[in-house]
Amino acid sequence: MGVRTYTFLAFSFSVLLSLPAIAEEISFTDMIGRPVTLDKPAERIASIPIPLASTIIAIDGSTKKLVGMNPLAKSAIEEGILGQIFPEAKDISSAIAGTDFIPNVEELASVNPDLVIQWGDIGDGAMAPLLNAGLKAMFVTYGTEEQGRQFMRITAKAMNKEERINPLIDWREKVQSDIQEKTDKIANDQKPRTLYLQRALTGLIAVGPGQSYMDFWIRLGGGVNAAKDITGAKPVSPEQVAQWDPEVIFLNSFEGNLTTDFIYNDPVLSMTKAAKEKRVYKMPLGGYRWDPPNQESPLTWMWVANLLQPGVFKFDLRAEMQKAYKSLYGYDLTASDIDEVLWVKMQGSSKNYAIFKAD
Amino acid sequence: MLTSRAENIRLPTSLKTGEMENRRLAKQAVAFLILSVVLLGSIFFGLCAGRFSITPARALEIVFNWLFTPGLLINQIDERIILLVRIPRIILAGFAGAGLAVAGAALQAVFRNPLVSPQILGISPGAAFGGVLAIVLGWWGLALLGLSFASGLIALVFVGLLARINGRSEIITVILAGIVISALFGALVSLSQFLADPNGSLPAIVYWLMGSMASATWQKLTLAAPGLIMGTLLIMAMRFRLNILSLDDAEARSLGANPDIERWIIFLAVTIIVGSQVSVSGVIGWIGLVIPHTVRMIMGQDNRVVIPASAILGAAFLIFADTLARTMTAAEIPLGALTALVGAPVFAVLLRSHYRERMQ
Amino acid sequence: MIMLSDVTVRFGSRVILDNVSLHFPKNRTTAILGPNGRGKTTLLRTLLGQQKMNSGLRHAPKIVGYVPQAVMLAHPYSALDIVVMGRAASLGLFGRPDKKEQNIALEAMARVGVAHLTDTPFLRLSGGERQLVLLARAIATGADVLILDEPAAALDLHNEMRLLDILTDISQESDKSIIFTTHNPNHALNVADDVLMMMPDGSTIHGTVNETLKTDNLTRLYGVDMQFIRLDNQAEEQSLVIPSFSLCRKCPAASVKF
Repeated sequence: MGVRTYTFLAFSFSVLLSLPAIAEEISFTDMIGRPVTLDKPAERIASIPIPLASTIIAIDGSTKKLVGMNPLAKSAIEEGILGQIFPEAKDISSAIAGTDFIPNVEELASVNPDLVIQWGDIGDGAMAPLLNAGLKAMFVTYGTEEQGRQFMRITAKAMNKEERINPLIDWREKVQSDIQEKTDKIANDQKPRTLYLQRALTGLIAVGPGQSYMDFWIRLGGGVNAAKDITGAKPVSPEQVAQWDPEVIFLNSFEGNLTTDFIYNDPVLSMTKAAKEKRVYKMPLGGYRWDPPNQESPLTWMWVANLLQPGVFKFDLRAEMQKAYKSLYGYDLTASDIDEVLWVKMQGSSKNYAIFKAD
Repeated sequence: MLTSRAENIRLPTSLKTGEMENRRLAKQAVAFLILSVVLLGSIFFGLCAGRFSITPARALEIVFNWLFTPGLLINQIDERIILLVRIPRIILAGFAGAGLAVAGAALQAVFRNPLVSPQILGISPGAAFGGVLAIVLGWWGLALLGLSFASGLIALVFVGLLARINGRSEIITVILAGIVISALFGALVSLSQFLADPNGSLPAIVYWLMGSMASATWQKLTLAAPGLIMGTLLIMAMRFRLNILSLDDAEARSLGANPDIERWIIFLAVTIIVGSQVSVSGVIGWIGLVIPHTVRMIMGQDNRVVIPASAILGAAFLIFADTLARTMTAAEIPLGALTALVGAPVFAVLLRSHYRERMQ
Repeated sequence: MIMLSDVTVRFGSRVILDNVSLHFPKNRTTAILGPNGRGKTTLLRTLLGQQKMNSGLRHAPKIVGYVPQAVMLAHPYSALDIVVMGRAASLGLFGRPDKKEQNIALEAMARVGVAHLTDTPFLRLSGGERQLVLLARAIATGADVLILDEPAAALDLHNEMRLLDILTDISQESDKSIIFTTHNPNHALNVADDVLMMMPDGSTIHGTVNETLKTDNLTRLYGVDMQFIRLDNQAEEQSLVIPSFSLCRKCPAASVKF
């Protein structure tokens, strides 16, 4: 907390300092407190963290500024709708780093980036090589909504696209406070016990309260985390899930083969209240996977809120998505695009899902 | 004169030996009885303990109904938890524990070294690599079992080829070859983890490698049980032969054994056990070391006794450990970590007292 | 009965057994004598079928009772466990000894006088007791041929005597053929019917004790002057063979009679 406050202050301070700066020189402090100075706005960015690749595309409205990304960012883009919107993304190098975020410095140098983004909390081995190679680097950290906003903000700053990021941040703040205001009024006993399963097919992994983004949007959307006895992501047995007896189950979007049938066909999980009432939903895969923080997160919150508190929230998600995709990617979503992102074919008949269907 | 002296030496002890023999058998019978009670206690504990609260009386009622009412529909949640979650898990843990303990005991006999385990032969790292590779490829179930077994077998064959010099494989070359092959397959596991998708297969690999029965089902049980039972029974059938194989090769040969071939039958049985176990529940260590040692301290060295006793105690131990793994906290404690946590200190104590006694 | 015909064993360029033909008939006890490094152990291994032969043939029963010099045991089996192992050959890969086999082992132990040691861990036994237990195991195999590798080497005088007595006893009671190696020609003299001398020049001399165990042969065998001593003060006539250097040089020559 202290570090983040400090970082935030340092950041604000550097923003103030940079206002009168001459010409196009950009300086700011990254999320581990390192000052970063760029001679001119970054135009060739390589992003080793996964969600930031699509964020950069969203901030720029194109793929032109992205010259390298994590192989997993690329596979998410190819699997999801972003690959359809930006088919040229497939030509961007994904050899700059391994899936474990260890940079391949020579490959990085060959795409000639003027800024490399890397996680700031994964150890010196993945960070030092960038600096040793003389690359201009910016480090970001991950976990909370606040951190999510911060890494978007400084990325936009580096690209000198603050006019793009401010509306996005405003949008997040507005949606968040709109929802929060209503959920605050909901009595605790009206909030469904909600379970997010980060893994299912190969053994159940649940996510408990604490420093977790999933717990954040469960609470925001008007639910209580069913996995109250654990912190962070932990393996659990079906028996434990039965004991929690969740009223809503969210399935991750990471496991491609995972469908709601996994719950309905499991002899024990199908006995949970969520399964009996058909309140099992798989997280959508849009411009990026909707589970972790990314540029589309307000859509996640609206989707979650509609499902957890159908009596309170009636977001017109289809319209919101069209608006968001237009402004993020300059793309007009078709009805079938939306159906695909929201898995309407698979879970259209689930309880409270009718609101997401086209009229 | 010489013959007369020899006659004096023939002692009239044959009467006494019968008595001693009977006492020995009685002692063994009591030990087996105690072991069986421990196993039953462990099964009962596994049946009644769990995160979902079901009273022991209800748990037993469910089991009795299930056993004595054929065609019973399993509709209630508590019935499903007992019959579809806990029982397959108990049985799987039991077979796996018995198999691993017996495999360890057999290897210790064949290698004439009480400290070896399936790890030594490269079988565990080999099977682990096969499993990891299968997960990377998105293969589960029978394919994972097959790959895990095949890879364990390949590791074993490599060890065999590497250790075979002039048509004979000496113990020391087998152990050294095992170390080399273990390192090789260990590296392959690391490499696969490096190449695995952190969003997809990597967490599955990491969790699987830690060892867990959390996803045990009747389906998984039917997958692993044939191999576990076959391997265990094969070693069980050869338990007297293991005594012979634990002797010096020349001696074993003079007693009519063919250690060069028979050793590999044991290795194959161990590979079947380890491959089957690893493929459904990941790497679980220490059982093969701790259990046979404990048994030998109580019941002596004769493998005719050590092998069946290890099977019973191994089953009881793993059922108990797995019950702790799923009940102590809401999250599953990795079983492999738990057996190591319990196993290593117990082993240290055993080892010290064992050698202290030996040195006296 | 066990037999080697025209057997040659070489280690590199060194010839250990040069076209050797040997025949050990049943009901005879043979002592193998030879200096260190001459190849006694290699000959035993060849007889046991565990030595690769460069040429020649070995005729032997399937099972030969073998008493090794020492046993390295990783697992401290009890003495009875060890003796029961003698039954392995007749039990096969998956067999286990039943009551009957157990009794054969107990009888063998009784026969060599170690029946009281059944439950004692083998490694706790004295050197002499170990040799006897191993002998019991060899007997328990039921083999017609017993081969002992330096059976008395590690024994004190009392145990040495005991072992020789039991060997004599067995050879007189059964029609087994017994073969043992030894450094002490007196063992041959006292226990054996036949003697096989592995001479330093690579040749072998094989014959009855009476005809073969002579001063000149022994002197050639060991490269030391050997002498026979007749012990007159015994009820039975008996002789002893010793190297000249162990004669008391300071004593008056009259006290011993050559």
